[in-house]
Amino acid sequence: MAKREVIRAVLEGQEPPYVPWSCGFTKEAKEKLQAHYDSIDLDDALQNHLLKLGSDIGFFTDVGENRVKDGFGVVWDRSIDKDIGTPEGCVLLDPTLKHYTFPDPLDRRFFADIPERIAQYPDRFRVFQIGFSLYERAWTLRGMQNLLMDFYDNPEFVHELLNVIADYNIAQLNEALKYDIDAVYFGDDWGQQHGLQMGPKLWHEFVYPVLKRMYSAVHAGNKYVFIHSCGDVDELFDDLIGIGLNCFNPFQPEVMDVEALHQKYRGRLVFHGGLSTQRTLPYGAVEQVRAETRRLLEMGRKGGYIFAPAHDVEGDVPLENMLAFIDLLLDQPDYKNQQGESS
Amino acid sequence: MTMLDDLCQSVIEGNRNQTQELVKEAIAKDVPAEQILKEGLIRAMAEVGHKFECGEYFVPEMLIAARAMQSGLSILRPYLVTAKVQAIGKVIIGTVQGDLHDIGKNLVAMMLEGAGFEVIDLGVDVSPEKYVQAVREHHPDLVACSALLTTTMPRMKDIVDAIKENGLRDQVKVLIGGAPVTESFANQIGADACATDAASASARAKELMLELKKQ
Repeated sequence: MAKREVIRAVLEGQEPPYVPWSCGFTKEAKEKLQAHYDSIDLDDALQNHLLKLGSDIGFFTDVGENRVKDGFGVVWDRSIDKDIGTPEGCVLLDPTLKHYTFPDPLDRRFFADIPERIAQYPDRFRVFQIGFSLYERAWTLRGMQNLLMDFYDNPEFVHELLNVIADYNIAQLNEALKYDIDAVYFGDDWGQQHGLQMGPKLWHEFVYPVLKRMYSAVHAGNKYVFIHSCGDVDELFDDLIGIGLNCFNPFQPEVMDVEALHQKYRGRLVFHGGLSTQRTLPYGAVEQVRAETRRLLEMGRKGGYIFAPAHDVEGDVPLENMLAFIDLLLDQPDYKNQQGESS
Repeated sequence: MTMLDDLCQSVIEGNRNQTQELVKEAIAKDVPAEQILKEGLIRAMAEVGHKFECGEYFVPEMLIAARAMQSGLSILRPYLVTAKVQAIGKVIIGTVQGDLHDIGKNLVAMMLEGAGFEVIDLGVDVSPEKYVQAVREHHPDLVACSALLTTTMPRMKDIVDAIKENGLRDQVKVLIGGAPVTESFANQIGADACATDAASASARAKELMLELKKQ
């Protein structure tokens, strides 16, 4: 069974032959892994089941002093966070779009390498990524505190801004649907360690209707909808399933009861993530990483689950802890048997 | 409802203009500045913190309430100075070195100010040396440190150690907070308390002030 079929089986509520996985790593963590695997390509060593297409965070121009500018005009300071960065200042100084023009959603860079990537990894499940897919795009443009206060001060502006962002995303995903992809993977953090940043009332009023429009566009192309949304957001799962969400990431064990939620939603929502990146991976011993990984693999044996650390693994995680979960994934008997048969 | 009840309600609802008007009105009617502060602004922010802890308020409501409180306080401040009203304590606050996240730290600063503290905000990416320098310069009661990332949490220990090495540890209490931060981590690095969110930070800070007074 190809990796693509294993993921499809999970999404269709079937029992997979083994628990599939797709794990992400930050630059610093990747450097540690690459040094370990030496000349072996990390994509080949890790055998992730998702093939990530498009660009999750977009494209950037170097503006000097460890700063880059994205296509929306937002400058990101990468002196510390070298993978994404931290937005500097704000592009929309006033609550209006009158003097602002969105970039081209059909920029060829989002699509140019899709055929080549699919040809390179034809057996993997293809996800087209759209990062900062709504609220996050809005706050990176307007500034987080400004946007959070705009919900009350300038509600019409917030509705307009979110809808224009959705129009941009829908134009981009409609183009992506012309390729042989399987899903669109949105990314938009709404949570805090406890509860939603903007609270359920404002989320339902402002975010929900726009998400519904974006998810409908994906389903109109008969593809699956994935979302990455950090923090304590499980109160939204029923609403998200209602508008067509198929898979939720990162499934952080520090903010939600992963086993209870997996049990509750199995057959309705697939979870991708689950391994503690706030505690076990940076601070736990190898045996603790193994124990948590085994528990998650056991949980996902009957389906409804794609294994991953609950965030791209950070550079403070010891190499031994990374290898501890990677080895257990690759050692799953039915995965190994299948590899043996196909080689 | 009295005028101070109205003022309190106005802050809770985040109504900046009305808050300013009501503070001006209370001053004009010779209500003592300390009473306006305590029964109007501080009482309101305590209620905002309570609503946040209960899940009735979230970050937007807290931000607009804090903005209303600050707008009222800016009018009241000269009268507090004239009346020699003291803050309940002085706090220096910052996001630790290597971390540029500021909204959590800003919310804590606002809630501390709303609880009656004098707050000196050192900003983000604050090194242990800057913390030490700020303790020497401002003589705070509390040092508050924020970190969002597991990769930057270890800097909190560096701050505690630097304060200790410079012989200043007995003068201040150290409060830490941020998404990955726990009580056991606070104990492990020798901090005095951990706050899990902006609302609990002001409660922890007030407890630490009591401990300082007992020393």
